[in-house]
Amino acid sequence: MTNQAQAIAALIESARGQRPQSLDNREAEETLNIALALLVELSVANDRIDRLERLVAEMRGEDVATLRDIRYEGEVAEQRQDATDALLMRALRVLIDPRAQANE
Amino acid sequence: MKVRDVQHAVLPRTTAEEGSRQNAVVSLRRLLNSKVRPRNVGIFESEAAPAFAERHGRQPQSHEEVREAFLMSPGYRMWSAANRSAQEMIWVSVGEPTYRDLERMEQATKELIEADDKLGSLSLDSSYDPSPEVADVDIHLQPGGYAMNRSDYDVVSGALYECGGNVFSFGQGIGRGDSKAGVIMRLLNEEFDGFKPAKMLDIGCSAGAASAAYPAEWPDVEIHAVDLGAGMLRYGHARAESLGVAVHFHQMDASDMRFEDESFDLVVSHNLMHEIGEEKRRAMIGESFRLARPGGIVIHQDVAIRNQPTLVHEIERDWDTHFNGEVHWNTYATANLQADMIAAGFPEDNVVEHDLSALHGMANNRWYAISGRKPI
Ligand SMILES: C[S@@+](CC[C@H](N)C(=O)[O-])C[C@H]1O[C@@H](n2cnc3c(N)ncnc32)[C@H](O)[C@@H]1O
Repeated sequence: MTNQAQAIAALIESARGQRPQSLDNREAEETLNIALALLVELSVANDRIDRLERLVAEMRGEDVATLRDIRYEGEVAEQRQDATDALLMRALRVLIDPRAQANE
Repeated sequence: MKVRDVQHAVLPRTTAEEGSRQNAVVSLRRLLNSKVRPRNVGIFESEAAPAFAERHGRQPQSHEEVREAFLMSPGYRMWSAANRSAQEMIWVSVGEPTYRDLERMEQATKELIEADDKLGSLSLDSSYDPSPEVADVDIHLQPGGYAMNRSDYDVVSGALYECGGNVFSFGQGIGRGDSKAGVIMRLLNEEFDGFKPAKMLDIGCSAGAASAAYPAEWPDVEIHAVDLGAGMLRYGHARAESLGVAVHFHQMDASDMRFEDESFDLVVSHNLMHEIGEEKRRAMIGESFRLARPGGIVIHQDVAIRNQPTLVHEIERDWDTHFNGEVHWNTYATANLQADMIAAGFPEDNVVEHDLSALHGMANNRWYAISGRKPI
């Protein structure tokens, strides 16, 4: 049996030839590739969340749109806001990093 | 018969999550193709040509200069980097289910190949060394390329080609109901009095999607299909058997096929010309003439990238040559195919170029074909 990571590695390792670069800077090009791959994975995760929402709505006997329209106020809303702030803080850490650019 | 999205025994069984990933790549490519790429020609005027003029003190003129200018534009570079990345992700999205499910697929292939009651056949030629101009390149970045052949029941190249081809096509806006074979059958109906062959040949068949579509529509036709890749042909054969259609697959070189002269009523190729160099193409077209019977029809169909309105459009289209492993893309786009057909023996007045609409999908999806009829 081949597990997922092995299957992906088999595919990646079978590629031949060179990889022409479009951007001026290789680091930027590779980072763009990582960002686009994450975008695809975000979409995959959204599909999984959507499946769960539909199942839960069905189990509750309500419309999935009704389930998705649930909004929270007060304490729960604050907890969500904190979680969003923390997520952004993690993702944008480098923009906040106090250390100055080193010369080399 | 549907050609895309067909269910059969050798198709990798994708999980829902793998399906989501392929859909996300389709969406990414659809957005790049419909919203970002169309800006490239405008960007040439607004960013690329001015940047070139600033550096060189004049406007870009030659092929190389237009290409250099494009690469001086941040907008073009960003699209190019994203498009390359999306193309690579096509293969990751279909390669994961392929390698994960491979044991089962190879077992299914073995059973289909060794069955007693086969409809078609498979003849592989172990003495044949696949044409290196194609075999040595990962054309459209398909890892391992067309000729990859890992073991006696290997079908990876065929599975990648079929599944990757679908993700690619849907991302181009090509509809699920489109079929290159269907487009040619429509052409035969409309322009050749509903010509129906008794025996036909499909050159450069890959996973055999078109080859299987003809006998599904014309149950009495005897169809032979040729490709250079053993893994590709094995997959195509098992696929056709699983779908219950008779196709005879052969490993041969398109430029030198081992069939008797005048063997076929109809000879077609689908998307082959853009994959081969000038010399191979001329030899392949020569073979198509030799193999057609007198009164028989030859149709070579391919992508509609020829006849671009300006040099800037032509270079924009030529991205695939430099970034997508399509080494013969521009050779094909700018070739004088009419002259090749005439040199092969077709009378000048019956060689016709066709601009064909797709059967299904976005209105601007078109196919190119060139046809000729062998004199009686
Ligand atoms: C883009 S694919 C076309 C596939 C198929 N006809 C279709 O339309 O889906 C081109 C195919 O031509 C085959 N090919 C390229 N050069 C060849 C040659 N010299 N002899 C035989 N086949 C060749 C490749 O292996 C590949 O499978």
